[in-house]
Amino acid sequence: MAARTQVRKVKNMSGQRAVRKRVGIDRGFLATVIMLVVIGLIMLFSASYPDASYREGDGLKYIKSQAIFAALGFIGMFVMSKIDYRLYKKLLKPIMLVIFALLGIVLLMPAQQGARRWIPLPFLTVQPSEFAKLAVIMYCAAVFADAKEKMKDLRYLFKHGLVVAAVLGLLLLEPHFSVCLIICSVVAVMLLVGGFPPRLFWGVVIVAVPIVVAVAFGADYRADRLTAYWNPFDPAIYKTTGWQIAQSLYAIGSGGLFGLGFGNSRQKYMYVSEPHNDTIFAIVCEELGMVGAFVIIALFCFLIWRGIKIAMDAPDSFGALLVTGIMTLVGVQVFLNIAVVTKLIPATGIPLPFFSAGGTALITLMAEMGIVLNVSTHKRQSVSIR
Amino acid sequence: MAITTPKSSLRKRISYVYVMFLLLFCILGLWIAKINIIDGEKLRTGAIEQQTRDYQVSSPRGTIYDRNGKALAISSSAETISVSPAQIAEKVKKNKYNVDDIATKLAEILELDVEELKKKLTKKNSDGIYLADVEIASKVEPEIADEVRALNLTGVYFKEDTKRYYPLGTFASHVIGYVGKDNQGLGGIEMVYDSELSGVPGRVVTLKNAQGTDMPFQEERHIDSEKGLNVVLTLDETIQHFAEKHLEDAYRESQARQGAACIVMDVKTGEILAMATQPNYDLNNPNQITDKSVLEYLETLETDDEYNKAVAAARNKMWRNKAVVDSYEPGSCFKIMTMSMAFEEGVVTPEDHFFCPGYKLVEDRKIKCAETSGHGAQTFRDGVKNSCNPVFIEVGQRVGIDAFKKYFKAFGFRDKTGFDLPGEASGVFYTDEQFNVVELATASFGQGPKITPLQLITAVSAVANGGNLMKPHLVKQFTNEQGTVIKKVQPTVVRQIVSKETSEIVCELLENAVTNGSGQNAYIKGYRVAGKTGTSEKLPRGSGKYTASFVGFAPANDPKVACLVVIDEPVGGYYGGQIAAPAVGRILEDTLKYLGVEPQYTEKEKTTIDVDVPDVTELELAVAKKRLNDLGLKYTIIGGGEKVVRQIPLENATVNSGSVVVLYTENVENQMVTVPDVKGKTLTRVKSTLTSAGLNLSIVGAGATGSTSESTIAESQTPQAGEQVPQGTVIKVEFRFQDVEGSAN
Repeated sequence: MAARTQVRKVKNMSGQRAVRKRVGIDRGFLATVIMLVVIGLIMLFSASYPDASYREGDGLKYIKSQAIFAALGFIGMFVMSKIDYRLYKKLLKPIMLVIFALLGIVLLMPAQQGARRWIPLPFLTVQPSEFAKLAVIMYCAAVFADAKEKMKDLRYLFKHGLVVAAVLGLLLLEPHFSVCLIICSVVAVMLLVGGFPPRLFWGVVIVAVPIVVAVAFGADYRADRLTAYWNPFDPAIYKTTGWQIAQSLYAIGSGGLFGLGFGNSRQKYMYVSEPHNDTIFAIVCEELGMVGAFVIIALFCFLIWRGIKIAMDAPDSFGALLVTGIMTLVGVQVFLNIAVVTKLIPATGIPLPFFSAGGTALITLMAEMGIVLNVSTHKRQSVSIR
Repeated sequence: MAITTPKSSLRKRISYVYVMFLLLFCILGLWIAKINIIDGEKLRTGAIEQQTRDYQVSSPRGTIYDRNGKALAISSSAETISVSPAQIAEKVKKNKYNVDDIATKLAEILELDVEELKKKLTKKNSDGIYLADVEIASKVEPEIADEVRALNLTGVYFKEDTKRYYPLGTFASHVIGYVGKDNQGLGGIEMVYDSELSGVPGRVVTLKNAQGTDMPFQEERHIDSEKGLNVVLTLDETIQHFAEKHLEDAYRESQARQGAACIVMDVKTGEILAMATQPNYDLNNPNQITDKSVLEYLETLETDDEYNKAVAAARNKMWRNKAVVDSYEPGSCFKIMTMSMAFEEGVVTPEDHFFCPGYKLVEDRKIKCAETSGHGAQTFRDGVKNSCNPVFIEVGQRVGIDAFKKYFKAFGFRDKTGFDLPGEASGVFYTDEQFNVVELATASFGQGPKITPLQLITAVSAVANGGNLMKPHLVKQFTNEQGTVIKKVQPTVVRQIVSKETSEIVCELLENAVTNGSGQNAYIKGYRVAGKTGTSEKLPRGSGKYTASFVGFAPANDPKVACLVVIDEPVGGYYGGQIAAPAVGRILEDTLKYLGVEPQYTEKEKTTIDVDVPDVTELELAVAKKRLNDLGLKYTIIGGGEKVVRQIPLENATVNSGSVVVLYTENVENQMVTVPDVKGKTLTRVKSTLTSAGLNLSIVGAGATGSTSESTIAESQTPQAGEQVPQGTVIKVEFRFQDVEGSAN
């Protein structure tokens, strides 16, 4: 790629002045993001139409707002790609304060479907947990980047760990279990990448995971999900708890190699629940088939590869860890969503990045892509000064 | 100047993140492939099952025809109407529909109960979800369905269907059978040839969403139904009518408690020309019990349980095809088999001499003849004529136990005939240990073994046709919609049982038994009926319950048609010769005339031959006289004119030759006479009484043999005694041969 270059002086991590060559943004990454957004919109249109038409009386309900969110997302991405990512490290404290404030406010909101996750604004319903994910990534990136040799200092980590735990605690109060799961996964990955001793890490995981799983499936409704996971087609639960996963599998199985063709899903006609949301990938499989599904997974794979490359080429540890965290966030969400829809793991509601309807999620996601793009412009490279 | 960068260890650890995701995504890919490839088939089937609404379109059922192409069972198109409560509820929700309105409209057109219909229109499943498909009316006439269609309601569906219709109602009910709600054959030919008649049902597949309503893109698939084959029966509608009419008369007169059955068979091919059972039932309403006494009995039942059981029993009895299903002791009719064996084995000739003292000693048993005073000395020919039991016991003894058993089996009495109708019984016979001298003796005159009417007429036809046991059958061929013959049923010879010579002798002796003996009530002038009466007392002996029967065939010199009538538990007269033979005689007479069989008159018959009176009015007297003379008719002239003005009997009246035609040559009043009472008189006396009264005689029934014996007497007459009729009027007198006691057993 032909990068527009510009020589300027930057301060490196050790505070020394260094001559850096400003390179253009990573176009491969950007192109992949655009492709995913566009494909996501098209598939959302197809998947959501009948259900929206039946339940909301307007088949275009989701796609109309999602298109606006995508437009806002592009603006967000553009803006973020222009903001120097190091600013977030400096503004870490205010950022965290805002997040705590938002997570506090959301708990004062009226509950919807038994949870307080949304703050209704005139044009947009804000879901602060989306911001929380990014904030935790920024926080961890900053802490781990500064830690250096202190990555083995448990007291240091514990102190900062309390901040993350506070965020998780507020999220559990909503409650929003799946976001906590994602955050834990991302933090775990960042810990390892940041240099936390692997043996210690796995020790903690071995102790912690069974407890988390026990708590997770302790609640009755989650236990039901587990039984539904084992045999969703059991006639006793097929019409109730088994329905969602059974219908997803029917959709995926119906697709075959090349699918029924775009727009031809039958399962989206009220069989698959919320085809605009968590189960959209099942409709993708049904319409585009196994081949279509592989192409989309490959696109995500490519996106993560480019992201990881950007992280590896980042000029400092903060940038590297920040991008790693963001790409891990995307990867974990994609994996969990598809794994749930395909019954690889028991169900929990996780939207598919770029595909599922949801304003805050899409805009935040694209903003995060903007941050990655910004990091890519600071690509570390050897230059000779003339 | 080197730039300080994240340490290479950090870069390495970051790259592991990518490796991790690559691995995870590969797992996802494999997992999706597994779902599509390993579980795919099952999932696709399950998905399609829930996404499609599959209507079966019943195929038009084939028609059942008689041998001449007259339709006996036809299918007309009808429609089944169903509703989708889910769709209706949706419309109601949007205030577009009102369930009360819809229910009222539909109920009015379909003549249904409004409240019931409302329940169906709003039917939910156990989870409280509106159902997608509820049937509200089946087999609706197309015109009525069109009225519903005109309402143009969403959520109302029409399904093509067919309705079975039997144009002739009770006609041949036990042969044709009927169908159930889903047009599945439940009896008779409808059941046995159900797969041929029903064809291949078609299907209409439509897509539906999870709410049970149609999807916007209508991906409908039609798989056309294939019309069933038509079944062409060997039955002849006209002959069946004769059989049913005369059997019904006999059934009514005899008040048979267990019903009556009749079979008419083509002697040479084994084709069933008619098969009737009384009481019968209406094929268009097969569950309806018509028998008044049964209905009265049902009224008396108190508990539902009793009532339902009794109704089921009554229906089963009503649906029972006695001609095929019920085995009985054939009585003297079986003597045809005994004599055939004897002739075939060469152990008797028609002129062999026998002596009947009124009984026969067999071992320690004294087996009585029906004629307890004894027939005295007689030839075998007379033994047959008299239906003498001692004669047949002796003939049976000459045949012997082993040969008897061999022939009994050869006649097909130990197997089912393989007939087309369901529930066929096989014969009942003794085991080898049981069958000894005494059993042989009684079996020789038809007591002991049990056979079905169908087995008997099949065996008798074999004797009559020159010895070939034919497989009885009811289906001539199967044709398709275009009338092309798909499969033809050929007459099948099962085996030859007796020789042509034996057949001829037996025919001759049986003709003699009708003309001069116990079977006179089956006599038809000119048609040489051969036959045998049968009367058997049902077990236990002394019960006073009898089975009366007569089997006959004609013409004796070249048998074409055989007919058997069995009357089960008659009240009053119970001799086969008395109540079954007249019915066989009438059926054979109508049938032979209908088939155009040329009458062959004996010399004796020619003296009483029937003549159709010609029209001689407007003719010169001399010419008229000549005409009448030529036909063997006499005349008397009233008036002094030259031309005939009027004649009695009128043109085409059938009279005996030698009858007197009254010719008026002037327009004067008719000479009136009073009809005398001839009932109870012998033929000779009836003739003289009528002649002296100036009336003509037309003989019906046994009197046609010309027998002047004291046994043949007038049973009824029309016009009745005491009526004033013009001189020369024909009086129809029916004669009955009364001395049938001598032919009992």
